[in-house]
Amino acid sequence: MSRLMQWAAPLSMLGVAACGGTKPVAPGQRAMATGDVQSAALATYVKPGDLDTYYLFYSGGHSGQVFVAGVPSMRHIATIPVFAPYPGTGYGFDEASRKMMGDYTWGDVHHPALSKTNGDYDGRWLFVNDNANNRIARINLRDFKTAQILGPIPNTMGNHGSSMVTNNTEYALVATRFSVPLGSKYESLDDYATKYHGAFTGIKVDPKDGTMSVGWQIMTPPFDWDLGATGKGPSDGWAFWTSYNSERATGKLEQTASQRDRDYVAVVNWKAAEQAVNAGKTFESGGVKMVDPAKVPGVMYLLPCGKSPHGVDVEPNGEYVICSGKLQPTSTVFSFKKIQEAIAKQDFTGNEDGIPVIRYEAAVVMEVPVGLGPLHTQFDGKGNAYTSLYVESAIAKWKLPPYAPGTDPKSVVLDKIPVQFNVGHLVVAEGDTRHPQGTYLVAMNKMSKGRHLNVGPSIPESSQLIDITGAKMKMTYESFTEPEPHFAQLVRRELIKPIEFYPKEENKDPDAVWNPQDAKVVRHAATRTVEGKVYAIRSYFEPGRIQVQEGDTLVLHVTNAEQSRDEIHGFGITAYDKNIVIDPGETKTVKLVARKSGVYPYYCTNFCSALHQEMQGYLEVVPLGQVMGLYRNNQGEMFATSQQKAAVAKRDVAQR
Amino acid sequence: MRYLIVNRRRLLIGAGILAGLAMVLPLWGMTLVSTQYPEGLRMVVYSNHIRGDIDEINALNHYIGMTRIRDGFFPELRLLPLGLGLVAVGCLFAALVRRIWADLLPLTLMIAIAGYGLWSMAHRLYQFGHDLDPTAAIRIAPFTPPMLGQNQIAQFATYSYFSWGTFLALGAGGLVTLALVADLATRRRPSRRPVGAVSPTPSGVPA
Repeated sequence: MSRLMQWAAPLSMLGVAACGGTKPVAPGQRAMATGDVQSAALATYVKPGDLDTYYLFYSGGHSGQVFVAGVPSMRHIATIPVFAPYPGTGYGFDEASRKMMGDYTWGDVHHPALSKTNGDYDGRWLFVNDNANNRIARINLRDFKTAQILGPIPNTMGNHGSSMVTNNTEYALVATRFSVPLGSKYESLDDYATKYHGAFTGIKVDPKDGTMSVGWQIMTPPFDWDLGATGKGPSDGWAFWTSYNSERATGKLEQTASQRDRDYVAVVNWKAAEQAVNAGKTFESGGVKMVDPAKVPGVMYLLPCGKSPHGVDVEPNGEYVICSGKLQPTSTVFSFKKIQEAIAKQDFTGNEDGIPVIRYEAAVVMEVPVGLGPLHTQFDGKGNAYTSLYVESAIAKWKLPPYAPGTDPKSVVLDKIPVQFNVGHLVVAEGDTRHPQGTYLVAMNKMSKGRHLNVGPSIPESSQLIDITGAKMKMTYESFTEPEPHFAQLVRRELIKPIEFYPKEENKDPDAVWNPQDAKVVRHAATRTVEGKVYAIRSYFEPGRIQVQEGDTLVLHVTNAEQSRDEIHGFGITAYDKNIVIDPGETKTVKLVARKSGVYPYYCTNFCSALHQEMQGYLEVVPLGQVMGLYRNNQGEMFATSQQKAAVAKRDVAQR
Repeated sequence: MRYLIVNRRRLLIGAGILAGLAMVLPLWGMTLVSTQYPEGLRMVVYSNHIRGDIDEINALNHYIGMTRIRDGFFPELRLLPLGLGLVAVGCLFAALVRRIWADLLPLTLMIAIAGYGLWSMAHRLYQFGHDLDPTAAIRIAPFTPPMLGQNQIAQFATYSYFSWGTFLALGAGGLVTLALVADLATRRRPSRRPVGAVSPTPSGVPA
């Protein structure tokens, strides 16, 4: 009989293959959901007009963006461009955002982190890292816009272990992924083990306006630093990062960096680092004050952890630190108290470049056999931890310490749920704060094959919503996203308070215009620059005609004079690869060189009103040698034709 | 028995055809199933080549340091079609030549091939699961994938099974055995002519 069973499986597999998998069924033929499925559907259903309970901010990976969705509906609400141009909001086309992006047109967003007060989210800012170009950005949640991009951060290559926000947003902490010679110098890769270094950076955050600046750095051995976490409660003031390649290898790291059975977790006292900086115990590299932890004891320790760890996470009470070795089927629980005792007793087994290595047995509480390929852990605030299992494609729920003496590690694992497929990060509502919500968990899967209509070779990522309120986890919903979510923050909607439009009084742009009469275009013949103040309102631009000479540089400051929600105007210029989008009450500047003579219509790109289509004007680029024909006053100000000007004046009188 | 004796030649021709078919049909297969691969990854072994998701299986196996499976890797796959071909020819030959040794020729060959095939397969499976690269990213305890049945290796449930080609080869063996039985049965008779056979042709050459 058992033999039969063994045969049945492969034969049925072949059967499935022969039929080409599940047959598509017309919508009308879909079977009615029943039982658990039906209640799951109801649990995630947000009826038209109703609001979701949570904001989900997830990183867009190499798309350079941040996505915003509502939970539990999982509906995508907004895309916040950070490191990549986004014509949808005109980001990367106006002068301010172009300047902010620097010379880069992409970034690799990995780990969004919300600002915190007393270890809980305060809903002010969202920090995101750029793994590619060593930068960090701050999104202001007042308007859901990127407010600042800082970087490239010196001595850093690959800002991956970031953005870890400290308990009161004193710092956003950063770890370099790739070790390099300090100060952007050249050293041969043959000298990797001795002449290359990693760095942890404290990005200082202004408590009032959130402005970021590079504070200080800690020099580290040349490991590859991976994910980090900041302490809370008793471990406040400390930070933890995992590393791979403690072998200090180069070349095919897949192999060369997988030879040791244990790599390290960095245990960093960032407050001690701050004190060392204030006490002047630093050297300078790349213009940054740097601490050498070998010379300043108490700043950094190393703690062995399971092979090739990826995630490290601190539970809500701040006592237990969980580190997961992706090549070891266990999550290792360390006690912060035990770590401190080991440090006090100098219970070390050696050092790496002068940094003490804490004896593993002195700090470990338990190796929990969660499953294959454990990566990241989040918490529900009810004493449970949730770990994503990449290889196994599952989420494991397990009990946090304290454990009774002699507890069987297997008994600690409470539940497991499969996800589709290859889960990377997971996020529990406020799961990295002191007070997690314990309601929803979102599994961010790297693969989604067969879960949606076929869209060719490149398929979306899948995000699955899991209900964690009961003893058993329940899969309730799945949605799909563009490349490529990594980590996310899931936060109660009450904590985020965005504005509805920019109040006119707040607009400090000297080139803003609030009246069509103030709109004007001036040509500076000496610099061959045409500068204009453009007024935009439903449904016209003033001026509706702009004239430049071929070769002139055109700078336009466009003000959206609306004070009403969602009355957004775009300003797209045909054939010139320019589109800026201006929110109500905002002024944006666009610049171009009028290289090609001809006539180029400009028009409103963001649907605004019934006469949206009529909201247009012409940019005349007069060929060299031909006289410009616009009306000009004594100051050289250039207007639309006098007839047009008169018409505008007449209309404004009529409107009053 | 009488039926066997009358149809001896058909049995042998049938065996030859089955052995010939076994040359081109899959002999053995393995399916790996995991959450990420709900549709399964397949490896199908034919007498002279291997088919299926070999590249994908190689890509996965390299993490634990298993040897790469590639074309022309198995000397068995050069010998097997030759052996099966000889069996097929042998069967047809035996159909023409009515001698016990002529029956024994393909049968012996068949048993030898089956023995060799099974032994080399067991050997290969052991080798694949044991000659693991010591510098591989993931180190696991050596294992032997099953020749038949199911086991679990990491996240993969592995199902191994024999396929049509093997069954047909077995069938060919059965048919040759039956023909041999028929020959043995008629051998005890004084007349070497089978019961119900037509008279020899005038020239005396057996048809």
